[in-house]
Amino acid sequence: MMFEAIFSGLAALATPQAMLFMLIGVSYGLMIGILPGLGGIVAIALLLPFTYGHELAATLALLLGAHIATIWGGSVTSILFKVPGAAKSLALVFDGHPMTQQGHASRALGASATAALLGGLMGAVFLAFSIPIVRPIMLALGPSEYLMMALWGLTIIATFSEGSLLKGMIATSAGIMIAYIGMDPVSGTPRFWFGSVYLLDGISFPVAMIGLFAVAEMIKLFVKGNAMIDRVAGEEKSSVLDGVKDAFKHWWLVVRSSLLGLWVGVLPGVGASVGGIAAYAQAAQTSKTPERFGKGAVEGVIAPDATLGANEGGGLMPTLAFGIPGGESMAILLVAFLSMGIVPGPQMLTTELDLVFSMVWIIVIANIVTTLIGLAISSRLARLPTLNPNVMIPLVLSVCFFGAFATRGLVEDVLVAAFFGGIGYLMDKYQYSRANFVIGMVLAEMIERNLHISLGLYGDLFIFTRPITLVMFIFIIITTALPFIRQQRAENAQDGNNKI
Amino acid sequence: MKLLLISILLSTLFVEKSQAESVKDEVVTIISANSAGGMMTRYARMIAPYIAKHSGAEDVRVRVMTGGGGIRGTNYLWFSEPDGKTIAFTSVPSLILAQLSGSEAVQFDATRLIFLGRVATEPRVLTVGATSIIQNIDDARTLGRPFIFPSQGTDEDFYSMAVLADALGIETKIISGYDGNADTALAVIKGDGDGHITGWSASEAVIESGDERPILTLSQERYSPYPNIPTALELAEGESRQAIQAIVNMLDMRRGFFGPPDLDPLATEELRDAIVAALNDPDLIAESLLAGLPLLPSDGLTEQQKIGQITEASQVVVPILEAALQEIL
Repeated sequence: MMFEAIFSGLAALATPQAMLFMLIGVSYGLMIGILPGLGGIVAIALLLPFTYGHELAATLALLLGAHIATIWGGSVTSILFKVPGAAKSLALVFDGHPMTQQGHASRALGASATAALLGGLMGAVFLAFSIPIVRPIMLALGPSEYLMMALWGLTIIATFSEGSLLKGMIATSAGIMIAYIGMDPVSGTPRFWFGSVYLLDGISFPVAMIGLFAVAEMIKLFVKGNAMIDRVAGEEKSSVLDGVKDAFKHWWLVVRSSLLGLWVGVLPGVGASVGGIAAYAQAAQTSKTPERFGKGAVEGVIAPDATLGANEGGGLMPTLAFGIPGGESMAILLVAFLSMGIVPGPQMLTTELDLVFSMVWIIVIANIVTTLIGLAISSRLARLPTLNPNVMIPLVLSVCFFGAFATRGLVEDVLVAAFFGGIGYLMDKYQYSRANFVIGMVLAEMIERNLHISLGLYGDLFIFTRPITLVMFIFIIITTALPFIRQQRAENAQDGNNKI
Repeated sequence: MKLLLISILLSTLFVEKSQAESVKDEVVTIISANSAGGMMTRYARMIAPYIAKHSGAEDVRVRVMTGGGGIRGTNYLWFSEPDGKTIAFTSVPSLILAQLSGSEAVQFDATRLIFLGRVATEPRVLTVGATSIIQNIDDARTLGRPFIFPSQGTDEDFYSMAVLADALGIETKIISGYDGNADTALAVIKGDGDGHITGWSASEAVIESGDERPILTLSQERYSPYPNIPTALELAEGESRQAIQAIVNMLDMRRGFFGPPDLDPLATEELRDAIVAALNDPDLIAESLLAGLPLLPSDGLTEQQKIGQITEASQVVVPILEAALQEIL
């Protein structure tokens, strides 16, 4: 029955309208994704009025195609300009941009597109085979396991704290403090709002990121007076093909990251931005050379992109299996599903399996189309950072401030982006990790939220009474201790050599 | 003398003009107090051209003013000129509850706003998980342990459950902090929580799929597709009934248009008439069906009366809301 559904799902897409809509969706999604502040939610919301009266498969191809293409669009600006297109593309900044600075922009883009493709494909394949176990796993995991996942993400701060762990922790704490501005997620009590209704909603994460990374880089560029990448020093030292090879070479990393992305997508309450950081954390912590991370390690690009690629298929599961959308973009998709007569529920995983496989195929094909377009334009995109600063600064700042405004339609967000630009510049100058700052910001709410729920539901000793939580907790301790043990061993070996 | 008479006549005309503000040939701005891509703003954008068509306004524009769960946009409206050129659209219960619970951010008095018409509402429903031992509301009352209610924060469902628990004698433990309806639904399905409150449209899919079971509605009457599910009003008497009635009235106001206090009477009348006409316009009805944004209109005067009832019952409701908030702090 499953094989029959796989083929009938693909056959439904073999119409000229479905293929055309897929192409339109992907091209449009790439454009939306490249603009910071705009992502999959905006892409789908804008398309919704155009979805009536067409073939079911074609409409799904348009919506899902656009949604999937926004992901890689966001990665492009993270790698080239340090401008995360969306919160979930943040982890791409850590190693993607250093690669650009070292003249490996094409390679980074190639690796990014290929990892996203492989992630998307593996996510789709895993999804197809996981269908019978998706519901039991979703029901087995709860807030205490989400808390452990967030804590695991937090352990990555050590990677970015080279030189001074104290500075790293100060930066993380500052990020956590910023995340606490607004209404607390448990009681809705306003905190750190100083009587300003604007602050009541908190500091928008994408806006702060735009400021911390992109605006700060432009300030740096202005102070330095040179191009972002020196035209000669930054001459391309590798090609898009090298990046493609990198993704295949690190196949095991791609598999691990894809699985992580799939399950992060499946579980409502765990955001894709956390998934990207968790993928980066596992790549760094399991690497034999973790010291290369943050300085242009291609694995730092591959892991988050594979996770994001696989995440989308996973995100469809709670929407289809339970009719409960895991995020805003899935909520809009659910509206579209219902208007097309698709009623989510367990029957989607049994009698309507061909429709689910149509969506799996759309994810696969949209990923392939996105990657083909991406690889074709990567070498041209890679030249952009070598632009003269007189062109680059106004260009990037315009995009940044437009993106900051577009996030929520608030002028105040533009000012906040500029403010965080100043903070980002100073942090960079005095070597306080901006990555740690945003990791603190992303994970603070998830930790606070899930800690509170876990204590309320399972009691004070929940870590020890929930077996999966306990296993994850032990795993965190081991992965956190490993780099320190390795460092100690290396120092001991060094001492031994010196004595000899 | 002639000149004096003409001057008096002209000044009278001028005064009359300044006292009675019409929205005809004017630009009316609707403040959408929710997110730009959200359902509320989609409703506002869909209806705006029809209000222009039926009011004679030159244009009706939507200005998105997100923040504080509708508080920012409503604060802005509160200080707007009461000339009918600025009105707002948002979830009315959220505003009333924010005020009743004593939120520091609220700068308005919801009872003094001029309500212009409701666009849509739907019954809210208390559902339990399919595998739960709770089959009906009586089971929840005699559970022998607290009824665990996962909540996404201090929203209208949090306060509704607090009032229900008090009025119906359900020992309840509210676990707040969940990340939206998906998260609370999953908690109920997997058995972490006993039940949660959502709109019918949000719970329809999980009820149809058999993952959740409805046990109570918060509505004036029973919901026709589920005639066996009782309303909370049927189960309460006296002061408890008054408290539930206040909550039901509040929830019933749901998605509505309103203007600032002391809104000009002529503008109020024109806008109320235009909103009723717009919401009954066959073109808008067809468009709303296509967009998946259902309409269930009610006129402004009826909505204004509900506010009066809510204010009367607030003495009963406020201590319950405050106690619920204290419990999770």
